[in-house]
Amino acid sequence: MSRLTSWRLALRLARREALRSRGRSVLAIAMIALPVLAVTAADVVISTQRVSAVESLDRRLGTTAAAQVVVPAEGQPVIQGVDPQAGHTSHGGRPEAAPTARDLAAALGDVRLLPERLGGVDLRTEDGVGYAEAFEVDLADPLAAGLVRLTSGRLPDDDGEVVVNQEVLDKGYAVGDRVELTGRHAPSPVIVGVVEDATWRTYPVLAGPLGSLGLDGPGYAPTWLVGGGPVDWDAVRDLNALGATVYSRAVVEHPPPASAIPAEIRSWQSDGPAEDVVAAAVLIVVMALLEVVLLAGPAFAVGARRQARSLALMAASGGTPAQSRRVVLGSGVVLGGAAAVIGIVLGIGSGIALAPVVQRWSSTWFGPLEIPWTHLLGIAGFGLLSALLAALVPAWIASRQDIVAVLAGRRADRPPSRRSPVLGVVLLGAGVAASAYGATAGRDGAYFIAASAVIAVLGMILLVPVVVVAVAWAAGRLPLSARYAARDAARHRTRTVPAVAAVAATVAGVVSLGIAVSSDEAQNAGTYTPMLPMGAATVTDYRTKADWPALRDALDAIVPSATVTELSGMVEATDDGGYMELTVRRDGEQVPLAVAGGALGTPVLVDAGAGIGALSMLSEADAAAARRTLAAGGAVVFTNDDADGAGEVRMTARVHPGPKQPAEPPRSATLAALLVHVDERDIAPRAVVSPALAERLGLQTRTVSLLVTGADISDRQATALGEAVTAVDQHAGFYVERGYQADDSTVILQLVLGALGAVLMLGGTLTATFLALSDARPDLATLSAVGASPWRRRAIAAAYALVVGLVGAVLGAAVGFIPGIAVSYPLTAPDFGGPGPFLDIPWLLVGSLVLGLPLLTAAIVGLTARSRLPLVSRLD
Amino acid sequence: MSAVLHLDAVTRIHGEGETAVRALREVSFAASAGELVAIMGPSGSGKSTLLTLAGGLDQPTSGTVSVEGVDLASLGNDGRARMRRTSIGYVFQDFNLIPALSAVENVALPLELDGVRGRNARARAREALEEVGIADLADRFPDHMSGGQQQRVAIARAVVGERRLILADEPTGALDTETGEDVLRLLRARCDAGAAGVLVTHEARHAAWADRVVFLRDGLVVDVTGTDPAESLLESGVSR
Amino acid sequence: MSVKQALLALLEQGPMYGYQLRGEFEQRTGSTWPLNVGQVYTTLTRLERDGLVEGAGSDADGHVVYSITDTGREEVAAWFTTPVARTQPPRDELAIKLALAVTVPGVDVGTVIQQQRSATMTALQDYARLKRSGPVSGQPSDLSWGLVLDSLVFSAEAEIRWLDHCEARLRRAALERPAARTARDVAATADEEVAR
Repeated sequence: MSRLTSWRLALRLARREALRSRGRSVLAIAMIALPVLAVTAADVVISTQRVSAVESLDRRLGTTAAAQVVVPAEGQPVIQGVDPQAGHTSHGGRPEAAPTARDLAAALGDVRLLPERLGGVDLRTEDGVGYAEAFEVDLADPLAAGLVRLTSGRLPDDDGEVVVNQEVLDKGYAVGDRVELTGRHAPSPVIVGVVEDATWRTYPVLAGPLGSLGLDGPGYAPTWLVGGGPVDWDAVRDLNALGATVYSRAVVEHPPPASAIPAEIRSWQSDGPAEDVVAAAVLIVVMALLEVVLLAGPAFAVGARRQARSLALMAASGGTPAQSRRVVLGSGVVLGGAAAVIGIVLGIGSGIALAPVVQRWSSTWFGPLEIPWTHLLGIAGFGLLSALLAALVPAWIASRQDIVAVLAGRRADRPPSRRSPVLGVVLLGAGVAASAYGATAGRDGAYFIAASAVIAVLGMILLVPVVVVAVAWAAGRLPLSARYAARDAARHRTRTVPAVAAVAATVAGVVSLGIAVSSDEAQNAGTYTPMLPMGAATVTDYRTKADWPALRDALDAIVPSATVTELSGMVEATDDGGYMELTVRRDGEQVPLAVAGGALGTPVLVDAGAGIGALSMLSEADAAAARRTLAAGGAVVFTNDDADGAGEVRMTARVHPGPKQPAEPPRSATLAALLVHVDERDIAPRAVVSPALAERLGLQTRTVSLLVTGADISDRQATALGEAVTAVDQHAGFYVERGYQADDSTVILQLVLGALGAVLMLGGTLTATFLALSDARPDLATLSAVGASPWRRRAIAAAYALVVGLVGAVLGAAVGFIPGIAVSYPLTAPDFGGPGPFLDIPWLLVGSLVLGLPLLTAAIVGLTARSRLPLVSRLD
Repeated sequence: MSAVLHLDAVTRIHGEGETAVRALREVSFAASAGELVAIMGPSGSGKSTLLTLAGGLDQPTSGTVSVEGVDLASLGNDGRARMRRTSIGYVFQDFNLIPALSAVENVALPLELDGVRGRNARARAREALEEVGIADLADRFPDHMSGGQQQRVAIARAVVGERRLILADEPTGALDTETGEDVLRLLRARCDAGAAGVLVTHEARHAAWADRVVFLRDGLVVDVTGTDPAESLLESGVSR
Repeated sequence: MSVKQALLALLEQGPMYGYQLRGEFEQRTGSTWPLNVGQVYTTLTRLERDGLVEGAGSDADGHVVYSITDTGREEVAAWFTTPVARTQPPRDELAIKLALAVTVPGVDVGTVIQQQRSATMTALQDYARLKRSGPVSGQPSDLSWGLVLDSLVFSAEAEIRWLDHCEARLRRAALERPAARTARDVAATADEEVAR
């Protein structure tokens, strides 16, 4: 039989077999199609979201303008690529005068230029002050067409009017109101219309004619929209030489060859993603492939066994082992192909349905629907490949089956091979060794450990058959259902091993990632340095003429029960443009302090003792000593050196004068100060000096912050205080010390890990149980005839699920600990001499995976399994 | 002598309308303690149906099936299952041993299903295995036993624990003559010890071991041969 | 039935006289086929005439003892190694009865078959009972008796199987006969029409 004919036969047999055992086929297809669907949908959504260069044309140029010209600097020639926003630079050279509109128009051949100003403003809102995008351009001009879309009202007629988008209205404005901008000479135009901005969806946007929003002054680069015909690359280079960057529609749509782009720009535009990302992506793809193969494997194994009799007959009639292999692989092709097609089609549909939903959470508009066909081809190939791999081992086993035993009707697998467990132990050992090495290899060790994790998992997979057989051997003492399930699982290893391996691989991955994430969190918590004592808060304001009474009122309004202490400190920036500096020396050398500052609003606190409570790094004894020192007119100095109590220091206050100010001599004082040691990571002020000492040194003092203590500030109160404080003064800030707050994303990550692990474990267990139950029909019929109650089927189903889940989870957790613990070393390595490395094992996660989930799965299976035993069938 | 198994005008119809199959038609049948009854008939005559009805695995369309005086229809599924665990023993042609359990575990199965503790059940199972003569194979698995040995294990399972009714469906079908005879000997011994036995077979020389042979055709009893149990004791056979 | 070769085989064991031979034969065959002493002596005479046995004088009680000759031994060896021919089957009364019952009108063949089957079954049950109660001591004589009993069992079983088979064939023929009769009637009436 020629190759082609035998493949056609194989495919025909596979198709019939697939239709005959629908349940199993659906299972295999689902296992392969689901990942394909998920990846396809994600790809469609991401591709649609990513607005390519061509699609973003209309956003920046509207529908009509040919180009946008920006003069970034003082006439220095610039170098740019196709899109100047992606990066441009200048070669230096003598700055000429900046080109004017007339220069530019002349260079372009007398086209019309429409001036534009782009920027942002601070907008007063219901809650306080917020930032908004703004641009000024004559919206009625045809060249500006397409930048905004009017949805109600009208376009502005003069520079006293603006249009806004819905976000601005949501912040408390209505059409007809005046816009309140912060800033000294800010205009307040009237809102006359509502538009949809072409780019920004969830940010507030204001647009109006030139001058309506006050977007002039230093910092705004002159910008024009260019009319007329297409601006080609040569014209762009001409304008570059004059000192302007150009974003031209013609160039974007038809980019010049790479050779025409200056070398510097070319080297920036790296097309490929970073190396890290590639490595991570490869790792994820390999693990995903492994998971899918392991989950779909049992279905193919059972199919091969059902076909065993036909294959044996085929062999007895002269078929070759290769042909037997092909029949089983054929079902891989058929089911894999069907799964790939179904997955892609449903994935595209899901992507199209999901895009608007994801759009709602995105701040920019999505581009037009984009279906990345080349990607999808790759994803379909992945699906087909995983099906073929899943069918590979059963196919190989089918080609080597004992024909005589099959025809005699013996139901079982061949005895386990001796070689693979040895290989498994070797791989596992290699994985452990590599992990240990990676733990000590510094920052790059993480990749090493990831690779070693894959090796260890592969080794573990090879050990699963031995473990399954060992469990069956030890099951002699268990009650009937468990004993039967364990022994039957060991008798049908081709079906059991992939399922257990899938569960084990999943749990290994989740456990190791969980340990890594937990340890990282532990490091974050362990290295956190509080800025204030727990529960205390400060209100700071850096402006010289801060309105402290108003801020106090705000505090009283919201937390009336709190104790508010005014803290004074040295003013750093003096009124006339200079700044003041205080240096502290001991034995001739500057007292080392890595970080001087904090939430107090000043590096040098001027205090008579009342504010000592704000210094969280002082122990009780030190605080008492500090108060005494300050009362006596001395100072407290913080140092990274070892310190013990009093020491002699020399403080020097030096004023660096502002422009046109006379220099002043520095003032010094030598005194016995209280030296307090702080770690290099801790945040402390440089010193606390008593008011008398401050006067001696000529320090300018003022109130720098309000210390709020003695009240339990709830989250709601904290938010309200933040807004109230900003309302009084935009530059004021409010901070309450709550200790280390775990990032939401960490908790979410752990939940996602747990959920993913649970889903995959459930999938693997259910697969194995479903297949096992259908294999066990004859035994269940016997049990019925011997008098088993109908619920026995449920008990056996639950026992199967428990065996697969528990064995897989325990094995996986054991193997997962290795890379997890190993990776915690490089991941949480100490930096700046701080503590570390940290190791935190999320016992709750591990426990629920290893014990809780298998039990839960078994319970679910037990509750949902049919409880009717089959009849012993006999043809009378 | 009271009847351990009693079928009273039992009818069993599969399907309905045009394609209905009448497996049994108003069949009345009884088997008493100490009696072995054989049922013979061509394929399609209803012999297996009679056996499944007797074991409570199937319900009659009309008529009553009683085992030890209890109407099987009045028990629920659970009750019938309990009957099979404690009172009724089944022997099949295909042995129907569970490959994942050893011989003694297979024999202990009905007891364990009934809640008897492991060690106790196993002890009684070993006794049953001794009765059928294969006590030394107790810990072997069915895969490593010959057909005859497997059938003995199946019989041990059917007789463990003082069952009163033994139903055997072509128990010698897959065995050679010698071994088949051994199986019949065992069944006969069991019936002599007080159980009631119903044996479905198509081989007359095996049916001859029974006290009564019932011929079925098309769901009806067409003939019954065999002597009363009491009379057979007077007959001495051919003198030597 | 000729017991010639059986007696020769017995004599091969050692010289015996007539009554002794009969006793040995019946013991070995479980008295299934009882022998007449006269029949034994007649056979012995014929054997002597054919030169297969020879007189060996008389024993103390005056019985004439016969012993086997070399030719006789050859004959015995040939008998054991030659299969029993089936060229001339003995008259089977049952087969004759059924063959006639089928063709003789007015006889319900089904009942004949049923009754015969019941009787044979009853006999089979008797044989089975014998087997159960018989000793299984393992002596050669018990084994040979057991084999003879088995031959009765198997032939009875074969008869029952043949009866089942006849019954099935008759039922099939009964289904085909009305159709055949209808076809012939139609042809006959058609001929009549043509003839008219």
